[in-house]
Amino acid sequence: MQEKPEVEPILSMNSVEVLYDNVMLAIKGVSVQVPRGEMIALLGSNGAGKSTTLKAISGLLKTERGRISRGEIRFEGADITEMLAQKRVERGICHVIEGRRVFEHLTPDENLTAAAPGGMSRAALHAEKEKIYAYFPRLAERRNSASGYLSGGEQQMLAIGRALVTQPRLLMLDEPSLGLAPFLVAEIFGIIQKINREEGVSILLVEQNALAALEIVSEGYLIENGRVVMHGTAEALKANSDIQEFYLGGGEGTDFHNVKHYSRRKRWLS
Amino acid sequence: MELVFLAELAVNGAMTGLLYSLFAIGLVLIYKASSVPNLAQGALTMLGAYVVLAFADGLGMPLWVAIPLAAIVMFGLGFGIERVALRRLAGRPVIMILMMTLGLDIFLRGTTMAIWGATSASMELGVSYEPLFLGDLFISRIHLVGSIVTLVLFGAFMLFFRTRAGIKLKAIADDYTASWSVGISVERGVGLSWALASVVAVAAGVIWGEIQGVDQSLSLLLLKGLAVAVLGGLDSILGAVVAGIILGIIENVGANFLDPLVGGGSRDLIVAAVLILTVMIRPHGLFGRHDIERV
Repeated sequence: MQEKPEVEPILSMNSVEVLYDNVMLAIKGVSVQVPRGEMIALLGSNGAGKSTTLKAISGLLKTERGRISRGEIRFEGADITEMLAQKRVERGICHVIEGRRVFEHLTPDENLTAAAPGGMSRAALHAEKEKIYAYFPRLAERRNSASGYLSGGEQQMLAIGRALVTQPRLLMLDEPSLGLAPFLVAEIFGIIQKINREEGVSILLVEQNALAALEIVSEGYLIENGRVVMHGTAEALKANSDIQEFYLGGGEGTDFHNVKHYSRRKRWLS
Repeated sequence: MELVFLAELAVNGAMTGLLYSLFAIGLVLIYKASSVPNLAQGALTMLGAYVVLAFADGLGMPLWVAIPLAAIVMFGLGFGIERVALRRLAGRPVIMILMMTLGLDIFLRGTTMAIWGATSASMELGVSYEPLFLGDLFISRIHLVGSIVTLVLFGAFMLFFRTRAGIKLKAIADDYTASWSVGISVERGVGLSWALASVVAVAAGVIWGEIQGVDQSLSLLLLKGLAVAVLGGLDSILGAVVAGIILGIIENVGANFLDPLVGGGSRDLIVAAVLILTVMIRPHGLFGRHDIERV
């Protein structure tokens, strides 16, 4: 149908507005494209609308009484704006929600089983689990203990592994680094990169840790107050002085005594 | 007091307790998926018994056909309840769901009353009332049959929760949003738990209907079933079985000593005491899970 399927992004979100409880406008016309096979980051501060953007894509808005009031979302060419969350997972979108949220009373092994698609054979599930345990050897060691007792890093690994069982072509990760020690962040980001390269899974990453995120993605969107305020390649964003000042903790050689107070406002917010 | 007599009280108490467990398993199944004690479980049990009688007496089918047919009808009803009454409540405060189960209870009791009236009907399972002697112990046959049914269902559910569908149901019990995020149909899972609980209600309705007749009083089993489920931990099927045995023994042995003192009626007092003490001393019951806190 498409003339040039190779240039069509796997996900395209066009001017999407989200309303919670029919009154609160959480995002106001956000447009984001994820090119197939790429890794894209959504950056921005707390409450900027990053998580809402992911929920709009995965269909999880419904659980919080939110809905898309304008705009459309297309996945692999099809309009999914109104589709049930479960159907979107079947089509290949999986959302690793914020705060890890593993099934605490189930073992890691059961967590993986629970995510198995309806038609997956026993052998295929077994192979899939072995592949995930190869990515995350720590999980393999603890595959039969209650997941609630895993460490924060292990739970994040399990949440990612659980998402992989659904066979996603677009994996969305909400703050995978939250509350983790730096060496764990490095380990998890390394594995995300590996999943992207080896399995060809496109990745949409939400991060407050902009420094770590911009090291591994190809493009980034900066969201503030429910709007995309900046979009560019990772290199361009890293070089941008505003980004350096507000999200990367000051550029090289910034002397904080000389940073003028009035300039320490995000000018694009007004 | 002879030791044999005490043993007889204990054994028969344990078997009566297993019949409470049979009822409580239905409560546990629904609690696992919906996080509320289903206040309509008593009404479902009564309805299950009436549906069996409708096939057996109304249409003249033998019981071995009528019971499975009733189980199928009730299985469908369980899914129907989720679709009509519960789906729009997903994600709402659980108190809403609890009130909905109360509404269902009143609705189902009213409906059975309107259709089948208030007179008691009998369920003829053909189990002999001749006492069974196990050594020196006198044992009630129908209670023995009921205990075996309970244990078979218990085993079946333990196996079920190891299958993929069972694990998905446990996942739903843990976290609705995380379940949705990996494509689990929470709606279908909740429907399945109601469907299974309705099938358990048929089994409980048949056994209890044989013991005390089929009428509105079957729905009062809810209170003892709740006491057993709470003692067991509300979300543990093993807990429901163990708690049933414990409560049955305490009730039967205790009442034997207390009834002469208070002039009867101490059974209900014992059940109430067990329920109140459980909530005060061990709110998550014998085998209930408490939320995991990592230290």
